[in-house]
Amino acid sequence: MEKAKISAYQLFVLVLLFELGSALILPLAIGAKQDAWLAILLGMIGGGGIFLMYDRLFRFYPDILPTEYVQKIIGKTLGRILAFFYLLYFAYIAARIMRDFGVMLVTFAYPDTPLFIINALLVIVVVYTVHKGVEVLARSGELLFVLIVVVAVAGFILVLVSGLIDPSNLKPVLEERISSVLKVTLTETLYFPFGETVVFAMLLPYLNHPFKARKIGLLAIGLSGVILASVMAINISVLGVSLTSRSQFPLLTTIQMIQVAEFLERLDIFFMLTLVVAGFFKISILLYAVVTGTANLFQIENPSRLAYPIGLVILILSVTIASNFAEHLQEGLQLVPVFLHIPFQIVIPLFLLTLAFLKTKRKQGQ
Amino acid sequence: MLGFFKKRQKKKANGLNDKRHPEIDWLNTIDASLSINLEIIKEKTGNSPDVIIRELSMGLNDSVRTAIVYIEGMVDDQSIKDFLIESLMKNQNLQEKVTQQEPLGLLKKKAVPFGDVVTGREWDQLFSSLMAGEALIFIDGTAEVLIIDTRGGEKRAIEEPSSQVVVRGPRDGFTEDIRTNISLVRRRIRNPSLWVEPMKIGQTTKTEVAIMYINDVANEKVVKEVRRRLKQINVDSILESGYVEQLIEDQTFTTFPTLYHTERPDAVAGNLMEGRVAIFVDGTPFVLLAPAVFIQFFQSVEDYYTRFDLATALRFLRILIFFISLIAPAAYVAATTFHQEMIPTQLLITVAAQREAVPFPSFIEALLMEITFEILREAGIRMPRAVGSAISIVGAIVIGQAAVQAGIVSPAMVIIVSITAIASFATPSYSVAISARLIRFLFMVAAATFGFYGIILGIIMLTVHLCSLRSFGVPYMSPLAPFTLVNNSDTIIRAPWWAFWQRPRLISGENTVREGSRQKPRPPMNREMVSRSNEKGDSNE
Amino acid sequence: MNKRLFFIFLLGAVLLSGCWSKKELTDLALVAGLGIEKNEEGKYVGTIQVVNPGNVAEGQQGGGSGQGPPVSVYSATGDNIIEASRELSTKVSRRLYYAHTNLVVIDEQLAREEGITKILDAMDRDPEFRVTTTVIIAHGVKAGDIMKALTPIDKIPSSKIIKTLKFTEESWGEHLNVNIKEVINALTSSGKEPLITGFHLIGDHDEAKKMESIQQTAPAATIQTNGLAVFKEGKLIGWIHGEAAKGSVWILDRIKRTNVTINWKEEKGAISYQVMRQKTNISARMQDGQPIITVEVRAEGDIGEVIVPIDLTDPHVFLEIEKGAEEEIKKEIEQAVQEAKEYKSDVFGFGEAVRRLDPDAWETLKAEWDDRHFPELQVEVKVDAFVRRSGLRNKSFLSQTEENR
Repeated sequence: MEKAKISAYQLFVLVLLFELGSALILPLAIGAKQDAWLAILLGMIGGGGIFLMYDRLFRFYPDILPTEYVQKIIGKTLGRILAFFYLLYFAYIAARIMRDFGVMLVTFAYPDTPLFIINALLVIVVVYTVHKGVEVLARSGELLFVLIVVVAVAGFILVLVSGLIDPSNLKPVLEERISSVLKVTLTETLYFPFGETVVFAMLLPYLNHPFKARKIGLLAIGLSGVILASVMAINISVLGVSLTSRSQFPLLTTIQMIQVAEFLERLDIFFMLTLVVAGFFKISILLYAVVTGTANLFQIENPSRLAYPIGLVILILSVTIASNFAEHLQEGLQLVPVFLHIPFQIVIPLFLLTLAFLKTKRKQGQ
Repeated sequence: MLGFFKKRQKKKANGLNDKRHPEIDWLNTIDASLSINLEIIKEKTGNSPDVIIRELSMGLNDSVRTAIVYIEGMVDDQSIKDFLIESLMKNQNLQEKVTQQEPLGLLKKKAVPFGDVVTGREWDQLFSSLMAGEALIFIDGTAEVLIIDTRGGEKRAIEEPSSQVVVRGPRDGFTEDIRTNISLVRRRIRNPSLWVEPMKIGQTTKTEVAIMYINDVANEKVVKEVRRRLKQINVDSILESGYVEQLIEDQTFTTFPTLYHTERPDAVAGNLMEGRVAIFVDGTPFVLLAPAVFIQFFQSVEDYYTRFDLATALRFLRILIFFISLIAPAAYVAATTFHQEMIPTQLLITVAAQREAVPFPSFIEALLMEITFEILREAGIRMPRAVGSAISIVGAIVIGQAAVQAGIVSPAMVIIVSITAIASFATPSYSVAISARLIRFLFMVAAATFGFYGIILGIIMLTVHLCSLRSFGVPYMSPLAPFTLVNNSDTIIRAPWWAFWQRPRLISGENTVREGSRQKPRPPMNREMVSRSNEKGDSNE
Repeated sequence: MNKRLFFIFLLGAVLLSGCWSKKELTDLALVAGLGIEKNEEGKYVGTIQVVNPGNVAEGQQGGGSGQGPPVSVYSATGDNIIEASRELSTKVSRRLYYAHTNLVVIDEQLAREEGITKILDAMDRDPEFRVTTTVIIAHGVKAGDIMKALTPIDKIPSSKIIKTLKFTEESWGEHLNVNIKEVINALTSSGKEPLITGFHLIGDHDEAKKMESIQQTAPAATIQTNGLAVFKEGKLIGWIHGEAAKGSVWILDRIKRTNVTINWKEEKGAISYQVMRQKTNISARMQDGQPIITVEVRAEGDIGEVIVPIDLTDPHVFLEIEKGAEEEIKKEIEQAVQEAKEYKSDVFGFGEAVRRLDPDAWETLKAEWDDRHFPELQVEVKVDAFVRRSGLRNKSFLSQTEENR
């Protein structure tokens, strides 16, 4: 574990950027049609609950990384294997997100550039950052967060000024019963993006005031949920349900609609690049978790060196996990939640928490 | 060619060794005999004509032979002639009293009308005093020397600093003389807590360097660290504070300055009050300040003298200026070669019409113009003043007119380059402006290969790099990142003076309180201050 | 140090091998407008207007401004739109660039026979193409001919058409500036059909292609708006003009400013009521299982012209003028509804309103909405008009001349 500390505000920014990272660009929860915002908010509430579970685990072991306390809870060998699988899971998620952003860039602005090159450039920057350590990552987050806020506020004002928002597109509320909204929540939004906060279990030990983790985490998840829900609501009210569901990247299509004073048109490139910043942080956080976890698991002295090889692995994974974007999305919506998200985000942590609880109980009993 | 360089390097190294290990051990202390001592001085200084040895005799019957040794130009000529020689030669009373016994004590007590007089007997000390401009009095038969502080000589008068000009604010600037410089600051902070620590750095040049800080304000750890780093310096020469800067900064592989330098005593005083440490180097008007943070380079001393609203607006403007000078040409290249869709149709047609006849790709065009501009700028700075104006005329014609008329570059490009140039001149700190100048070319390459994607990756990388820098342990981007709310009253915004409650936490020591509470002016609400007789006729109430 | 070198090397290699998506301005043919029609063989004919930047931007050297035409027009055929576009490259020396294509002209015949659904996918999908591109129908003229006609003032004909449409929508209100997104949304919605403005070309079609045409005070041919095309199931089935067209724009809440001519007693067209601001709401309610639509209009405006001697200082006169305006607007709206019912095409999105009100009922109504329910739909129109000001004068000078007589 690196000798570093991050402040509560920095953790807040990182969680927020992480949540917004790739969830902003995709048609999140569009299965619930015009009630997508509701599905997102429900997912947020569930995500908050999941985070409380991670926080409880963290309170049992506030000074060590999950890769270490897993070994304490379920034994050395088993714990190591489980921790290793977690690292693979983080790496896979990072690769998926990189794929999302790479495809977005290729589709919108760089049709002739190979996906590999686009992703490679991003990996270079990510590796450079992770190499510098978690403090630098957190500080950069603080600075670039301002950029994102400025662009987001500007975008919101522009959409508003263009008179594009037609709230009637959001009606009728609950056209298809609450059950379909719940179904989307339970199969999609709960895990992506909210359940993915499991990676922050790897960052919580760096917090300078550990008792603040719960409040900060819930606050950030809540805010990101509100932002995601309102962005999706804006998308639907501008584009309508059918166009939103047909769009690979609805937010950018919304931005493309902006026409102000015959001068501010086709601003999608700026917003796309701002989104790249958020995605950069999401990938960096995941890569950092993998790097620091690997170093901790195999007792490697200088963890920042690992950034290069692991970055390369993620790069190659990102290009090879699917042969086309449809396949990529299909995997993400149907296979990954069942086979990866549910076990890694909910089942295993719950199991660990129960064991840890029993262990401390027994200790107290003695 | 290579061999030649090798030889030269060897020679240099030898020369250094000589200085470091004096072979002549017997020279450590002075001899009792005057003539031997003078011989040694002559030998060591290579008979240089500016080392003046004035022999005279004192005592009854001229029985006591003495000699005054000083270096011409380093000493204050006036005081040597008017006081030292005068008092030694003309004072009859004294002449008679001086005998072979205890002449030194007598001279020290009665004869030398100077403030700082000490005795010494070691050659090392004597030579360094001599070289610093002090006068030595040798007396035959005494193995001790009077060292008299006669430092002075020609120095530049205090003038207005040329690199940091203000409209409102003091007009004095540092000079090349370290003692003048220190006194300029002390005049502003009249407090015994203002401590100065002198030291000599440079094996050959023996340059005077001084650390200055306010004892209970500055962070002790930083002071200690500055002292340690300065003591570690082992080079043969220090000719400017830039030497010191590059030898003590935290991170060398960066284009950003991690030490602040200034020519202004008021800036030094202000920074000392924030808890920084100043490093004075003799022979240069530029004083170093540590630790430095990034935002400091966007602040001008005048910000604190003008009203806060205006100062805040100007600071925003400077940030904007910095970004323009960084990415304006890159953004032009990216927009015209990758993202034409975002340019409004009408503007695109105009730009396209201009580019129709230009034979180069946008990137080459931008590069050509930027390099031309850099050449002109360099020429303008280095040339004698008289030729400088000629260069600017030629430059204006070449860039502005001929290039466009010949169809080599488009007018839009000229506009972009001009804006960039003006922006880079407008950055308040020259050292950040030149680092932006360098990075600008990297951004242009990034933009030419990947458009705005390249630019944003560049911005991310730049941010990460800036966040990874530290200056004497203080994060370079603080107090923005890590964010310290209370210290952000003086970063991008400049809060009113009554709101500067605290010194920068990460920089100063324990003593962070800066002003008393309730500093906000509270003028009386009624009109009791208006004299009754004038009140008549004013019906505004 | 080695790591750093490796890093720089990697970066350099990636950067140097870049430049894939680079497109220099001098290699781009800016397509301002695209016309689509079908030839006798049943193939698509794409006609594009390519901007000659040097001839558009005045005062530039090297372009020879004003010498040649501001645009050049090319056409090519293909089995689908992309194929036609690719074939165009055999004729144009530059890469066709569609990101600034602000206008798509669809041929009336094509719209009638085959419908517009098939041709829009390429534009919807392509990342270069704007979703905000305006769509119009060439009314009574080939789409290619509209593309070829030169226009004065606004040198690029496509932008002339867009500006004309924009300003007439703002100040006259008989036409609609609809873009690709709106057309597709209307096509995909179960309870709405698109309305697209038609343009025709008045004058000599062949002369309109020449530069001489625009070097005269009265150009040889003028491109002018002409009616609103009504679609049903993606096919053009007819046109609505004049008051009915204005009524449609009222219902769609797209009126910004317009003029309502009111009769005063026996005098026809006596008063001009200028609408400055309006808001239209469509709401639905169910009665006995049948939907009823209410159109509520609230208009505010000034008096622009009076040619009868009335006393505009009298608030009662204002009230009467307001009543007249309400009737007039109501008449226009009812006429629009009537014509739409005749075409059996729900261009106003009444179906959408029903769906929003009662999704379950809509499920049963959906199938036969256009053919059975919509033509029999009960539509209530409520108009509230307010006269706010009467311009610089109160009484007209006409009333003085009347008195003098």
